[in-house]
Amino acid sequence: MITKEAVVAAPAPAAAVPEPPRPATKRRAWDEAPRWQIYLPLGVYLVFTLVPFYWILLFALRPAGSTSLVPWPVTSVHFEKVWTDRSFGTFFHNSVLVGVATLIMTTLVALAGGYALARFDFKVKRAFMLALLCSQFVPGALLLVPLFEIFAELQMINSLGSVIIAETVFQLPLSMILISNFIKNVPYSLEEAAWVDGCNRFRAFRVVVLPLLRPGLIAVGSFAFVHSWNHFLFALMFLNNQEKQTIPVGLNTLMSADSVDLGALAAGGIIAAVPVVIVFAFIQKWLITGFSAGAVKG
Amino acid sequence: MKISILGNSTGRGRRTSAAVALGAVLALTATACGDGGSGAGDGGEGSGKGEIIFWDNNGGVRTDIWKEIIADFEKANPDIDVQYVGIASTEYQSKVDTAIQGGGLPDVGGVGAAMLAGFAAQGALDPLDDRLDGSSLNGKLNKDMVESLRAAGGGDDKLYSVPTSANNGVLYYRTDLFEKAGLEEPTTWDRFFEAAQKLTDKGANKFGYTIRGGAGSIAQALDAMYGQSGITSFWDSTGKKTTVDDPKNVKALEEYAALFKKVTPAADLNNDFTKMVAQWDSGEIGMLNHNLGSYQDHVKALGADTFRGIPQPTGPGGKRVQVSNPVDGLGLFKSSKNKEAAWKFIEFAASAQSNSKFNESAGQVPAHLDAAKAEWIAKAEPTKLAADALTDGSTTIVQLPYYLPDWNTISKAENEPNFQKVLLGDMSAKDFLDGLAGQLNEAQAEWDEQMG
Repeated sequence: MITKEAVVAAPAPAAAVPEPPRPATKRRAWDEAPRWQIYLPLGVYLVFTLVPFYWILLFALRPAGSTSLVPWPVTSVHFEKVWTDRSFGTFFHNSVLVGVATLIMTTLVALAGGYALARFDFKVKRAFMLALLCSQFVPGALLLVPLFEIFAELQMINSLGSVIIAETVFQLPLSMILISNFIKNVPYSLEEAAWVDGCNRFRAFRVVVLPLLRPGLIAVGSFAFVHSWNHFLFALMFLNNQEKQTIPVGLNTLMSADSVDLGALAAGGIIAAVPVVIVFAFIQKWLITGFSAGAVKG
Repeated sequence: MKISILGNSTGRGRRTSAAVALGAVLALTATACGDGGSGAGDGGEGSGKGEIIFWDNNGGVRTDIWKEIIADFEKANPDIDVQYVGIASTEYQSKVDTAIQGGGLPDVGGVGAAMLAGFAAQGALDPLDDRLDGSSLNGKLNKDMVESLRAAGGGDDKLYSVPTSANNGVLYYRTDLFEKAGLEEPTTWDRFFEAAQKLTDKGANKFGYTIRGGAGSIAQALDAMYGQSGITSFWDSTGKKTTVDDPKNVKALEEYAALFKKVTPAADLNNDFTKMVAQWDSGEIGMLNHNLGSYQDHVKALGADTFRGIPQPTGPGGKRVQVSNPVDGLGLFKSSKNKEAAWKFIEFAASAQSNSKFNESAGQVPAHLDAAKAEWIAKAEPTKLAADALTDGSTTIVQLPYYLPDWNTISKAENEPNFQKVLLGDMSAKDFLDGLAGQLNEAQAEWDEQMG
């Protein structure tokens, strides 16, 4: 076995790196710019971004047949319809199960694999990293039939487990690369110090490294959750029972071949979007820190 | 494999943990690879009891009525359970195709004329002629619909789907706007063009017509084309050359495409049916071409008194020519292990009572002859007019070649972008139709060759 010297010169976690001061001339130009030059473009951008959301709210909250541009009188009929008649309550529950299970599995496996990639060296490491990257170019649709056959052999068709495993498999390569970069950014000397204090490798990892990986874990976990929450194809193909289907598939069934209930579709869209918006609102700080730090090559 | 540790620690435990970690990852990643496959396969008659699975090819808005029919069936057949799976029409073909390749087909599925050729060509469906001969449905189904599905089935003259309903092209127009403008009902193409012109006031954001420029545009353009030209067959007398590029059709398409932006909103370029219907339901647009399926949406949005849905306008000599709309039906998948129970369900769903119930909800023309006499039809004007047009000899139907395996590709992915070019004036109607005709003739020649 070849042993390398510890990578003690690894940079500190990006979260701890202070932002370099802006050059004085740029700061002065920024401070002296009239406010409207800043807020007007931002306002225009905001309008373009928010109008579609307003449109969805409008259709979801106004009665069917209304052409009013404000959702008044407000009605909850469309929400009640999709939640009860169109089984969105069940779909929501299934999507939460898939999302949370994918998050946990992806994070745990990516953590283990990422640690191995960051801290160990082996012959095919470069090839393995290349394979991980290349797997990102393979569309899910291409692997649909093989995956379907495997799950059919395993008697897992029509089980949420098939969707969770497929989602995890497709999330893993990117998640592992990100996590390994995070771990590379944690000085190896910290782990060594923990060993000197009597920790074994796992305990040192758990007590010393893991807390420092919080931004990365949140980034990877939320990415896995949001992706599996929104993903349509695997749930459509692997789940046949109405009671097992997820929100994206449910949304799709609100549009028939020649008729569409726009109020119900908009209400369904809001139900589908709310968890994602909440997740992003709570974790955006960690997410930005996480992705920028994970992007640094160790 | 030699594993070195990026640090100064060594040990078998660490090597093992690295190997286990990577092994777990590789095992999960490798799940994405596989080989071999189980095709549709042959099933069996089964006991006629137990569970059967039914895939609805237009799940969503039809879910409630199917569940009602299933409840009736289970009441009449307490030893059979039907598991309903509603699948969006846009995803149905890919879901069935995947199941044909990988296994997991249902016992019964919605199989309309548009998808029938593909499924039959893959050997996924059971022929139903013998079952129908010995059934109470024999002689009770609309002959034209049966023949339409037989013709769409792949050229072996077998019936793979029992018809349940037919759709039909409808010209919806706003009676209130027509009355206000002093216009006559658009029963002829001349009146249609005149009304489209007069109802347009671009400054006030009012338009005479909304055209379908996005997904599904080709069938609608063909309907308008053949309706105006009065040509009554899709193929010439040899059966080898299509008539789509006939000079009369070229002229008709030029007139139809010229409506874009003159009397229609510019956004129509990307209109699929959803946008087109939503636009008509919420704006002040005079006319819309769609089918019976959106009637209930218009009633909800506009009320039943402000619009009418009539058959397509008549063309030269007062003749009405329309292109065929796909007939919908129910197929029995060959892989079913409980075909006896599956057929019982198909029989029940296509019976007079269930068929009437289903079509009343869907607003379509029933396939069962007794269901077609139901009272509700007289009250649903567009359905009644469509049913009359299809049966009273006033209308000639140009049968689109749904039997061609390439039809869906030719009429959608390959030519919808070109139709948008025609609307924008970047391609002439003649070039567009010549290209379309070339593809169709080639597909027909291949088909003839395969059929011997």
